[in-house]
Amino acid sequence: MSRPPVYRPSMRGWWQRHPAYRRYLLREGSSALLAAYALWLLAGLVSLAAGEAAYERWRELHGNPWVFGVHLAALLAALYHAVTWFRLLPLTLPALRWGGRRITDRTLVRGAWLTYVALSVGVWLYLLGGVR
Amino acid sequence: MSEPAKITLEVQRYHPEQDSGPRWQRYTVPYTAEMSVLEGLQYIKDHLDGSLTFRWSCRMAICGSCGCMIDGEPELACHVFLRDYAPGPVRVAALDHFPIQRDLVIDHSDFLEKLETVHSYLIPAEERTPADGTHRQTPQAMADYYDYAQCINCLLCYAACPQYGWHPDFAGPAALALLQRYNLDDRDGGHRLRERVIDAEQGVWGCTLVGYCSEVCPKGVDPARAINQNKAGSAARYLLGWWRPGRRRGEDRE
Repeated sequence: MSRPPVYRPSMRGWWQRHPAYRRYLLREGSSALLAAYALWLLAGLVSLAAGEAAYERWRELHGNPWVFGVHLAALLAALYHAVTWFRLLPLTLPALRWGGRRITDRTLVRGAWLTYVALSVGVWLYLLGGVR
Repeated sequence: MSEPAKITLEVQRYHPEQDSGPRWQRYTVPYTAEMSVLEGLQYIKDHLDGSLTFRWSCRMAICGSCGCMIDGEPELACHVFLRDYAPGPVRVAALDHFPIQRDLVIDHSDFLEKLETVHSYLIPAEERTPADGTHRQTPQAMADYYDYAQCINCLLCYAACPQYGWHPDFAGPAALALLQRYNLDDRDGGHRLRERVIDAEQGVWGCTLVGYCSEVCPKGVDPARAINQNKAGSAARYLLGWWRPGRRRGEDRE
């Protein structure tokens, strides 16, 4: 006797099924804006190589309210992406121990943020020194 | 005596001999504060509709049989209470992403086949005989994998994983968490064997860290961590494979 047919559910509208899926799409989607910003910077580099006039044109584009809006969105996306990235960081690491005790996720995330802030301040100071 | 409180359950029905797809059926069930959703389903079967089909066994979140979608969340029906959904209607459906055989009963043979491929058993690092006695380890060594050993194969994590829904060939959260349980055991020597499962496209790289699997696990297993702990090692093996001649793409394995 053949087995009765099974019903195979579809994935249509899967992201509407739970907020966790929408948070995931938002997290992954924020990287698209980051990629767009990287391309924008690349365009700046290319125009710099093309000469002063091209570079000035690229700089002038920043005055456009649309370009400003996209930059603001990219900044927010970068911040959101950083927060989620650091939050997920402990999941990618093996269990780490310090003096026989396991380092908690919270300590790891705080350590990562501290390193990030320290490096950012370092780059900032370096750039300030360069301007002077 | 006052009338007992009542709750409406909207249960997904599918009888392949008569239905072309799932349909919803409503039942009104009297409940008390200590009644689980599973007990609600049992009330329906015993008093209202004997044709309702669902799996259950232990009634205490140990056997992993009664997993279903309750108001869209993967849950063990014995692990949630009717009072928290009152007055309803609360929707009870078969676990997401699995073929449905009948009503709330899914076909989990795909998972069982995957479980066979991950070598989720101890492969002793040194050869031993029963005469060697108990194969002991320290509590600290056990702590490394203890959480992953709590998996009861209830498949809530598969119902939570959209990647499994899209790509049923993905090994999936529970199978990979059980793999990691044995990989982290300091008595085990089966790493090389399991690397093949980890490094495959259907292995850890099938996971995009949605992370919902770890949220729904009723035993606190954290499969998302088990999977993603392996990505750095897997990437390193891939890169080293390109570097070292003769080691490319696992050519030296067995």
